[in-house]
Amino acid sequence: MRSVNAIIQELDRIVSHPRVMLEKYLGKGKKVVGCFPIYIPEELVHAGGMIPMGIWGGQVSPAIAGKYSPTFTCSIMRSCMEFGLTGKYQGLSCVLLSVLCDTFRGTSQSWRIGVKDIPIIPFIQPQNRESKAAKEYLIAEYRSVRNRLEEITGCKITDHALSKSIEVYNRHNQTMREFAEVANEHLDVVSAKNRHAVMKSSHFMEKAEHTGIVQELIAGLKALPVCEWKGKKVILTGITAEPNELLDIFTANKIAVVGDDLAQESRQFRTDIPDGDNPMERLTDQWFLRKGCSLVFESHRCRGDMLINQLKENNADGIVVCLMKFCDIEEYEYPIIAQQIEDAGYPTLCIEIDQSTQDNEQSRTKIQSFTEMINDRRP
Amino acid sequence: MFTVGIDIGSTTCKSVIINDGSIIVGRAIVPFGTGTIGPKRVYQSVLDSCGLSRDDIERTLVTGYGRFTFDDADNQKSEMSCHAKGVNFIIPSARTIIDIGGQDAKALRINPNGMLEDFVMNDKCAAGTGKFLDVMAGILNVKVADLGIISEHSQVEVSISNTCTVFAESEVISKLSMNVAIEDIIAGIHRSVAKKVAALVYRNGIVKDVAMSGGVALNKGVVGAMRKELKTDILVHEDCQLAGALGAALFAWEEAVKANRCSQTQKNNE
Ligand code: SF4
Repeated sequence: MRSVNAIIQELDRIVSHPRVMLEKYLGKGKKVVGCFPIYIPEELVHAGGMIPMGIWGGQVSPAIAGKYSPTFTCSIMRSCMEFGLTGKYQGLSCVLLSVLCDTFRGTSQSWRIGVKDIPIIPFIQPQNRESKAAKEYLIAEYRSVRNRLEEITGCKITDHALSKSIEVYNRHNQTMREFAEVANEHLDVVSAKNRHAVMKSSHFMEKAEHTGIVQELIAGLKALPVCEWKGKKVILTGITAEPNELLDIFTANKIAVVGDDLAQESRQFRTDIPDGDNPMERLTDQWFLRKGCSLVFESHRCRGDMLINQLKENNADGIVVCLMKFCDIEEYEYPIIAQQIEDAGYPTLCIEIDQSTQDNEQSRTKIQSFTEMINDRRP
Repeated sequence: MFTVGIDIGSTTCKSVIINDGSIIVGRAIVPFGTGTIGPKRVYQSVLDSCGLSRDDIERTLVTGYGRFTFDDADNQKSEMSCHAKGVNFIIPSARTIIDIGGQDAKALRINPNGMLEDFVMNDKCAAGTGKFLDVMAGILNVKVADLGIISEHSQVEVSISNTCTVFAESEVISKLSMNVAIEDIIAGIHRSVAKKVAALVYRNGIVKDVAMSGGVALNKGVVGAMRKELKTDILVHEDCQLAGALGAALFAWEEAVKANRCSQTQKNNE
């Protein structure tokens, strides 16, 4: 059995060099399909025997993305465009994109024109989720995604295979949730950076393979003595919390991440696909069960309440809002959730996530000040 | 017991020596920031200002942008905590602090003991910071320190509508070419800074009294514009620029007292 550290290092390597995984799968004769954030029905890709691979941009100062994405485009979509335009995603059979905000809409058009060698399959997940027609609409939308995928890749997607893939994904979700729980008993080992490596690596690996590794990690962690964490504990919320240098600032200030509501991390794993007979309907139903996410409309927004519950359940000291630069969706929601959380008696900190710079000095000062503030409140 | 606080900013270094956590005995400001001779020089200057030597100093604490790069300190703390502590010492009634530094702006809410209750800091952008004023003073060919006095002569404040420093720069140049009076342009520049910073303050919530710290608080034009924007009085102490360093010196004193108490208890137990 490998050591916990060896497993985490491997996952960290995958996160730092996702291209290696892409090459590995291509080398095995697999087709790889890029999945833009946030909620892609990856199971369709998986059911076709292909590998869904996350597209989450990366730290890059865009040189040519500006041709299509103005400077005030959220930094994650700018870096995705930059990587697309500079051939970093070469090898993908196609990419899937759900138009969840205006930036995605623009990106879907720009991609079509700018990245000609990787076809894009855009689709829409309906925001009016209370209407009956919404479900019919989404089934039709997913059907057309399925057909386009089959057309482009030549891989057949059967209902039987889809049902099997759904099981693989549900098991993966459960495993990731279990990891999040077990990690909280071992905060000395599972630092903010390590936690992120485990979570993010799921986007670059075939899900059953990732489940296996994370289960091995969970077993390794369970064999270690439980750690009495002496530092402070926070919950992260937002689209992403990266890069590693930023997460290391939490560790340097003796802050552990004991939960997250990040689109790139736990929001991926918290909603299982419900039971049922028809796999396409089941896949669709998952969309209607999602809640507490800035990208999913709810007449009663519950993200604030969910965060407060997470704070209580994990005995955390505060919430860190990781605000993606120029993400208007998150920016609109931030004051509302911050107020709710503060009314519940918990402090919040807002840091800016910007993939276009390596400079974390402002965040360093903010995180240190926040730590000093919560240390004073709850010594 | 003497303790030193040093605030290493991006453009200026400030330092304060206090005696027994209650009296300021030394002050120094040098116009060089982190990465220069500023930190070393300010340390020497503050010692010289009160005739003390390093051997007289019990503890030194450093804050500010360059806090991680100064080796001669015993500890470091964020500028947010230090400004809160320092302002609480010089203006005990302050509950909201506006600190405009060389490259950032912050709004703090503090409790009666000078502890941070909440804060907001600007994002990576020069608008609404000391840097904005530096750039504008450069185009207008005046000293930054004179901006406040010149703006007092303004008759009609002009509007500088661009928040972005680069665009505001060309806006100012076009005003100059239209022969708009320099004092009116400066008043507009101050209002532009105030608007940007007021947004931060509103986000953090205003609890009276409101005080300003940091070097920009010495600029009466900016303070006046802030008063107009926030529609409230703003208190400014003559040592406002030293607030961060003062807070650091006070933290150093608290740490020294604690350390002495621990060693005393240890001795008693032996
Ligand atoms: S939701 Fe926000 S981060 Fe995501 S694409 Fe839209 S603007 Fe960008």
